[in-house]
Amino acid sequence: MKIFWSFARSTFQFIAAYRFDFFMEFVLAVVRMYGIYWVWRILYTQRPGAFGVSLEQMTTYGVMGMALEMFIWSRPQWYMATQIKSGAIDTDLMKPLDFHLYMLARSIGEMFIGVGVLGLPALIIAYIFLGVQFPPDLAAGLMFVVSLVLGFLLLFHLNFLLGSLAVVAMDIRHISWAYFSVVRFLGGQIVPLWLFPPFVAAVAEVLPFKGTYFIPISIYIGRLTGMEAIQGLGFQIVWLVVLVLLSRVLWSAAHRRLVIQGG
Amino acid sequence: MVEALRLYVRLVRLSMQARLQYRADFIMGMLNIIALNAINLGLIGIIVYRFVDMNGWIVWELFFLYCLWLLGHCLYSLFFWHFWEMEEYIIQGTFDQFLLRPASPFVQFMGREVQYIGFADMSVAIAGLVLAYTNLHLHWSLAQWLFFPVIVISGTLIETALTLMMACIAFWTGRSSMAINLVMEFNVLVQHYPIDIFGVWFRVLVTGIIPVAFMNYYPALMLLGKLDPQSPTAWLGYISPLVALILLVIASVVWRFALQRYSSSGG
Repeated sequence: MKIFWSFARSTFQFIAAYRFDFFMEFVLAVVRMYGIYWVWRILYTQRPGAFGVSLEQMTTYGVMGMALEMFIWSRPQWYMATQIKSGAIDTDLMKPLDFHLYMLARSIGEMFIGVGVLGLPALIIAYIFLGVQFPPDLAAGLMFVVSLVLGFLLLFHLNFLLGSLAVVAMDIRHISWAYFSVVRFLGGQIVPLWLFPPFVAAVAEVLPFKGTYFIPISIYIGRLTGMEAIQGLGFQIVWLVVLVLLSRVLWSAAHRRLVIQGG
Repeated sequence: MVEALRLYVRLVRLSMQARLQYRADFIMGMLNIIALNAINLGLIGIIVYRFVDMNGWIVWELFFLYCLWLLGHCLYSLFFWHFWEMEEYIIQGTFDQFLLRPASPFVQFMGREVQYIGFADMSVAIAGLVLAYTNLHLHWSLAQWLFFPVIVISGTLIETALTLMMACIAFWTGRSSMAINLVMEFNVLVQHYPIDIFGVWFRVLVTGIIPVAFMNYYPALMLLGKLDPQSPTAWLGYISPLVALILLVIASVVWRFALQRYSSSGG
């Protein structure tokens, strides 16, 4: 309990110190949601009901894509890159806990801050002003929550793998620009996978990225239902297992290399 | 003035040499920026491929819009990207160095860095504009050809002036990068989509308050022949240079105020 309060206090201090940044971040999120809302609204006014989705479903998809960024986005890669660059990573490695779990715990903490300060307020704005709908039924709502948690874990591991790369590449700043857009593109954050041309869709369907945004949001708007939704969750779980194993293997290899370098 | 310019060119050359020492970093940066732009254009392409057009804009017109913005932006990112880092200089007190030397602090700060990523944007922008021009079968008049570089430079200056004003916030609050990001966010929307798809208040905002629509949307209307001469707002297609000029005047006043406000953190 004592630990909890000290954590809560330090979190509060962190938010207070960066309140201007948080406020601006919130404004940015609202601008993004607003922008994508109009894109789909115009396109679906041109062609109502295109691709078996209603205007409301599509705008909900778009706005949720922007709003959920705060729910699933974690940044272990930045922390890892700075620590590796400065050599301070050795203090992290000396701590009596597993580095991979330590990063996960940090990321979950960051995620809760992001959700509380930015994510939930952004969602409220989306519900009130941007006509975002609720899931069609309770089952879809519950599956969405599960899928969202899996999405967070998937993206965390992808980011963790990128962070491990910092051991070899030293500077991951440039790679991360392209990486972010790949996640956004193949993850279906802006444009859902069912609109992709067949050959691009075929690639996006098998890669783990679609487990980040596409599956949770498709379940949310009722595009993936019943068996398909469960298959979606299964897809996320399978990739999660693969990525966890990959992260363990890659990090231990990176760790060995790091020790040789001497930090 | 001539003296300041000479100093600036000298500083830029030094910064460029410093940058180019890291060859691998340079190549990675270029490749990644090109990939990022290709993905952005791909997304626009997919949307329009499925819906044929976006409020009357076909795919090559949207690419033109995107690349016209990018061409103005690349000159900004080449020479002025480090406005973004102004807050670091102010928080750490390293801004003092610019005030101690007997030259304009602005010129010194500007010459501090060159971002080669601008070259990657430039190659994408030029390739995109050439492709759009041929595929749209455009035939510009001489006047339009002469106006084109003016528009590009105006775009650069609009973005530079806006970013400089935002960067100056750091003189008061110590933080400004998020405010610059805000301008950037509007930029991204204006770059990707024609603003006529958005609601009225957004159009007013990017026309009158954060006038980034003058970087690409309004001049593109004119260059793509989408401007209706009968429309009461047709003149907006021609005033980008004026907008740039006004913003520069305001930005220089803000900068002067900010410098007076500066008190070193003693770093």
